[in-house]
Formats: sequence, C-alpha cells, structure tokens
Amino acid sequence: MSAASRPVSQPALFRRLRWRLLVNTINTMLDTSPIRPLSILFCSIVVWLFIFFVSLEGFRFLQHDVRLPLGGEIVGTLFDVLFMLLGVLLIFSSGLVLYASLFGSAETAFLLSRPARADRVFAFKFQGALAFSSWAFLLLGAPLLIAYGLVRSAPLEFYLFLPLFFLGFVLLPGCLGGLACLLIVNFLPKRRKQVLILGCVAVVLLLGVWGVEILRASRPDSWGAESVNLLLDRFAFTRSRITPTHWVARGLRAAGRGETDKALYNLGLVWSNGLVLYLVTSFVAAKLYRRGYNRLATGGDLRRKFGGLWMDRALNAALPFVRPGTRLLIVKDFRTFRREPQQWAQILIFSILLTLYFTNIRRLFPGQIDWVHQNGLSILNVSTISLLLCTYTGRFVYPMLSLEGRKFWILGLLPLKREQLLWGKFAFSTTMVLGIAGSLVILSDLMLGMHASVILMHLLAVTIIAMGLSGLSVGLGAWMPNFRETDPSKIAVGFGGTLNLVAGLLFLVTILILMVLPWHAFTGIAASSLLFRGRDPTAAELLTPTNIGVIVGGIFAGLIVGAIAVFVPLRMGTRALQRMEF
Amino acid sequence: MIKLDHVTKRYGTKTAVVDLSLDIAAGELFAFLGPNGAGKTTTIKMLCGLLFPTSGTVSVGGHDMRTDGDRARQLLSYVPDLPYLYEKLTGREFLHFIADMYGLPPAIGRERVANVIELFNLKEFVDDLTERYSHGMRQRTVFASALVHQPKVLIVDEPTVGLDPKSVRQLKDLLRQQASQGTTVFLSSHSLDVVEELADRIAIVDRGRLVSCGSLGALREQAAVDGSLEEVFLRLTEQAASEGIPMMNGQAPADGITNARPGSSGTITLGPGTGRQMQ
Repeated sequence: MSAASRPVSQPALFRRLRWRLLVNTINTMLDTSPIRPLSILFCSIVVWLFIFFVSLEGFRFLQHDVRLPLGGEIVGTLFDVLFMLLGVLLIFSSGLVLYASLFGSAETAFLLSRPARADRVFAFKFQGALAFSSWAFLLLGAPLLIAYGLVRSAPLEFYLFLPLFFLGFVLLPGCLGGLACLLIVNFLPKRRKQVLILGCVAVVLLLGVWGVEILRASRPDSWGAESVNLLLDRFAFTRSRITPTHWVARGLRAAGRGETDKALYNLGLVWSNGLVLYLVTSFVAAKLYRRGYNRLATGGDLRRKFGGLWMDRALNAALPFVRPGTRLLIVKDFRTFRREPQQWAQILIFSILLTLYFTNIRRLFPGQIDWVHQNGLSILNVSTISLLLCTYTGRFVYPMLSLEGRKFWILGLLPLKREQLLWGKFAFSTTMVLGIAGSLVILSDLMLGMHASVILMHLLAVTIIAMGLSGLSVGLGAWMPNFRETDPSKIAVGFGGTLNLVAGLLFLVTILILMVLPWHAFTGIAASSLLFRGRDPTAAELLTPTNIGVIVGGIFAGLIVGAIAVFVPLRMGTRALQRMEF
Repeated sequence: MIKLDHVTKRYGTKTAVVDLSLDIAAGELFAFLGPNGAGKTTTIKMLCGLLFPTSGTVSVGGHDMRTDGDRARQLLSYVPDLPYLYEKLTGREFLHFIADMYGLPPAIGRERVANVIELFNLKEFVDDLTERYSHGMRQRTVFASALVHQPKVLIVDEPTVGLDPKSVRQLKDLLRQQASQGTTVFLSSHSLDVVEELADRIAIVDRGRLVSCGSLGALREQAAVDGSLEEVFLRLTEQAASEGIPMMNGQAPADGITNARPGSSGTITLGPGTGRQMQ
C-alpha cells in the first residue's frame, strides 16, 4: 500500500458507484428518449393497477360470495403456498442471475484484478442480482397484498409491515441461491449444468407428486368439512413452524388482524435468519469466490470442438419454402439453442412431466370419467400448456435478439432485409413451441376422450397462442433490446422481459377466453344441469344455435387478436431495428 | 518485484503454462512475447490474481498472490487487451472511483485525477459518459486510471492495438518514463517494434514454456541472428517447435541477464552491459 493510501470503505465505495450508475442511467434515458422511461412507468402503473383490481375483486368475491373468512386457514394456506412457490423460484432465479454476474461478466474480471475484497464484490453483485430477480415479485406481490389488506380492513401497520416483510423475505432465498451458486462452482465446476438440471428435475418432480396428491385429495364429489381438511392436509408442510415462508405468511396475517406483537415476532424471525444467512453467505464468498472464479475458468479444456449435427442439416432440408438467408438464421438460432442444455433441458423436463401427467390422468378416475371433470381438466390442461409456452417464449425467445449483442453489426451487414431477421426468429420460435404444445394438447385431449372437433378447436387456439407469444417475444425483444447484457436470465427478468411476460399472459388469457372458454362454459353448464337430472346430455342439448354462434364468434375474434399480437409487435420491432445504427 | 516460481497452469487436460519461473526487478521494462495461445494471457491473469497457478507461486512486491492477494493487487495496475469501463460513468467519475478503490485520500485523489487528465489530454471528453468514447479515448482513459494511484507494477496486455501512430509514440514514452521512475512494467505485445525499442528484457514463450529470456542482444546471440526482433522471434519459436522446448528459468541476476539455449536445461549468464541499460 502506498504511503498516500488509507483504509478504504469498500461498501461505501460500491454504494456510491451504484448510486452514480443509477443516476446517470436515468439522466441518459430522460435526455435521449424521455418517452421510454415514461412508457415504462406508465406500463408499470397499468400492470400494478390491473393486478390490484383483479386481486381486490377476487378477495371481495371470496369474502362476500364464497363467504370465506380472509383471516381463516384456507386463505392462510394460500399465502403459505404462494410464498413457498415464490421462495423456490427466487432461489433459482437469484442463483442463476448471480452466477452470470459473478463468473461471466467483464465487470467482475475488472473488479477482481483490483484490490476489491472478494466478499465486497460478491455483496455488490448480490444486491444487484437480488434486485433483478425480485423486483417483479415486489411489483406484482404488493398490489395483491394491499388488496388483501383493504378487503380485510387491515389496520395501518399492515401496510407498514408489507415492505419490511418483502425485503426480509427476498434475502433468504437470495442467500440460498448465492450459496448454492458458490458451492457448485467451487466443488462441481465441471458438473454445474448437470447439478442445475438435477435441481430443476427434483423441484419439478416434487411439485408433480404434490400436484397429484392435491388432485387426489380434491376428488371427493361433495365439498364437506372433511374433504376440505383432507385437501388442507396436503399443504401441511408449507405451514411448518421452521419454514421461513410461513413466518412471512403468518406475520402478514397477524399484521392484518392488528396483532402487532405477533407480526413483529415473525418479522424478527425473517430478518434475523435472513441476516445470519447473509453473514454465512458473505463468509463463504470471502473464502471461495476467487477460488471458484479460478476453478470455473480453468475447469475445462482450453478448446472444445463443436461441429454441425444431422439435426441442423435436417432442419435446413425441412425448410425449402423459406428464403435461404432466413433459413440460415433459423438454423443458426437452432444451433445456439441446442448448445445450451439449460435451455432445452427445462423445456424437456416440463414437457416430460406434463406427458406423464396426461398419460396418467385417467388413473385418477377408476370408472368412466364424468362430463364435469372431463370438461374442467381439458381446459385446465390447455391453460397449463399455454402457460408453459408463455414462460418459454418469455425466458428464451424474448432475449434472443438482445443476445446478438455487440455482434449485431454482423447481422446488420448481411444482405438481408432487417425485417427478415425478425421473421426468421419468429418462424423458429413458432415452430419450436408449436411442435411441443401441439403434441401435448393432442395427447391430453385423447387421454380425456375429447371429441375430434374439440381437439381441433384446442389445436387452433394453441397455434394462435404459439404464434402470438412468438410475435410478442420477438417483436418486443427487438423493440426493447438490451445489447449490453449477456445473461439471458437478466434480460428476461428486466423491465422489457417482465412487460413481455405480462403482455403474453394477458394475450393467452384473452385467447383462452375467446376461443376455448365458450365451448367449455356452455357444455359444462348444460352437462352439470343435466347430470343433476341423472343422465348425460345430448349434443343438441349441449350446443344450441346461440351457443354455436358465440363459439364461432369467439374463434374469429381470437384469430383477429392473434393477428394483432403477431403483426403489431413485429412491426414495432422491425421499425426499431431499421432505425438502429451499428 | 514480480516473481513467478515454477508456475504451472492447467486447464483440464491442457497445460497452458509449464514450470515458468521469472524474476523481474523494480524499474524493469519486461516484455513478454509469444505466438497466439502461448500462455501469455494466462500468465498475466495469474499475475493479477484472477487465476491461481496449479502449482508454483506468484508474488508481487513480496506478497503471495494466493494468500495475500489484496495487498499484492494494491501495488499493481492491469490494463487488459479489452479494458473494462463503466459505460454509465463519465471518465472523471471512473477515475475517482479508481482513486477511491486504491484508498487515496480525497485531496490527493483529486490532485492525481487532475494530473492524469492533463497527462493523457482527457479534458475535452472526461465529463462525457464513457459509452460515447472512441477506442483511442477509451485507451487513454484506461491508462489514466491505471496510473492514478502510482502503481509499483504496471501490467499491460496488447496496449497498442487500434492506436494511431502519435498515440503509440506517446504510449511508448509513457511506458519508458514509468520504468525510469521505478515502476516495473510487464508488457505483453505482438508489436515487436515497440518491444524492440523499449524492453530491458524480453521473454519468449511458446506452448506454455519459456523459450528464451534476456536482452535483445542475448536473444540475438541465442538465435544466431543479427537482425530485428521479428527475425529473432521467428527463429527462436521455429527452433523451439522443431527441437523441442527446454525448461528454462528467467531469473534476473544483479550482474547480468539470464538466457538459455534450446536443447539445454541450463542457463547462461551474460555480463553487464550485454543487454539494454535500464534508464
């Protein structure tokens, strides 16, 4: 240390850096294109208000129409389940974001070649990763809980406790994700992808087993106290006294009842455990971060040989109707996709799980499956498949254009119209997601014994959803590209990614309501009323001319909405791309 | 000031650096040459503590990089071939961040920042965000940041890439000046004319092994070529490839410069004055 130097407060140094970066980023946005931050703010407010009013109506419905006590066990269990699922998601998302920030960014290489302490660099990146992985949760969770408080007539302290519980809550899964990231990189640097995939498989399998248990418990024909208790028992593990997510749910409910002492106790539990875990994580980072960086950089061979595969050639041969330039881009995207096992592995895992569920669904019904369950399960399955598509396009398709990054000039200089770049990505995405979704829909409906016309209707709806979600993800991805970011998970959970996810969700709900729900609603209502009379409904009783008119009208409306979801974002993306300078 | 003691570095089954030993004195301008993939960048990353040797030790200013890395890094500055700048900071903010990182008291930090702004002629653009900088502006800012805390060791990887002739001249003067002021300069470059003009000692590595280390004169003698460094470099790397590369040591004795011949594992010590005099 030179004579002029003094002990430096690195936490203060990094705080100043973060603040300066934030201020400069906002100022640049306001200077260069004020419309963008304003539209971000506007969209956030719209999303926030949408969730708030939906939640408000939902809680009012539960309280006044269903007469469900909001302070009771059922709502408490729902909170427990919600926070537990969010907790698991946050462990994975913060771990993944942190991995990319700590080990894959040029910034950390820069900081680690300076006298910055390893635990301080870790803390700096940890805060960023936590903010990235949890801001959407804060944005989406806050209106839901505020709506709960309003319907519940919660006292003022409930709203004061909310941010404190939120912040305390994200600390625990963030630390667990960080710890997992550091330990895997240090002790299994060559197997990190496999460990991640195994972790995902384990979580999804557990969720699958849990889902089947819940389905079995919810089978009884009558909803009496016994059956509700049986169902609630399936959620018992989320209410364990040692589960941090239960402390959050219990504390918030206590705050809602005005029991400040209990709320404070639970808040103390959340924060004390979170901070202790942070200290442990920070200690581990001080010891293992640099070691892990070295292990990861030198864990594999210097070079690995890659080459063409029969799948690339097959895809190329399967697209003779596509322009050669666009076809090249599609094959390039496919090649990149198949070389990222964490991408296709997640899709594969979810697809296999859904296949297992669909093929075993009839076992839940020993005899002939009744109309009500057939009807309900088939629309539930289509919705689940659509949600899978939405997650996939949001996570993998939306970042595709941004990931071209600073190499984008290569694409920009190709002898192709820029709109072809987008159409190529759109075609790639639609083909991939439609292949998966179409197979799953057919399998599900066949297992449930649905009529061919219903299968066709579902296929049409899923095709529109696949095209619309691809159009949204590719178009918005080009409209709001982030060429500076190299981590796809960060791009996906950034503002643009979240906006795309919300737009995708709204779109798929709209399509399901327009194209799928009418048939299921009409036949469901008719079937239920006739079943009470002791016989199955006939086709004529199920589908009156009015009903058919509404169903066909819905399908046409769905086609129009689908066309808008494809062409408008792609048009926006194309314009943005054409204005782009390289 | 810089000491590498029997350093080996493996990437999985591939060995990037093999039993490398170097001892570089304070105030020495040491050039590190080698073909692509020779292990230069790996060696530099070990010098900065970004990577650790698989075996052997690396120390800077007497501090072991593995056990006392933060103190070692306090003494050095590293300018990589693709330097990093925070795009949303101005050049001035970046320089102050670096000054703070190295613990300079505020008044001294301000003074040093003002000095490097003057020295590198950054005044025109130093208050713009670095995302708007050209390559040359970025390089100047990075060098300014590397010198703001007056390091004892300056490690530079391919500094002349993309610079215009005037900037290259200024850079050469700067490196020479730093060495004459007592800073150890570790320069990795493919610009052999720059190395030829500046270096006190030159090390040539190939496939992770030290092929030769010494003054330009010593290298000429070893290569049996009385030409430019380019000819010497090509001859030595060709010899190493055809004859097999011996293990070598690149220690810097007080009275001369070490060197070795291909095919032998020993070292030759040349007398004072054989190599270029340090200024």
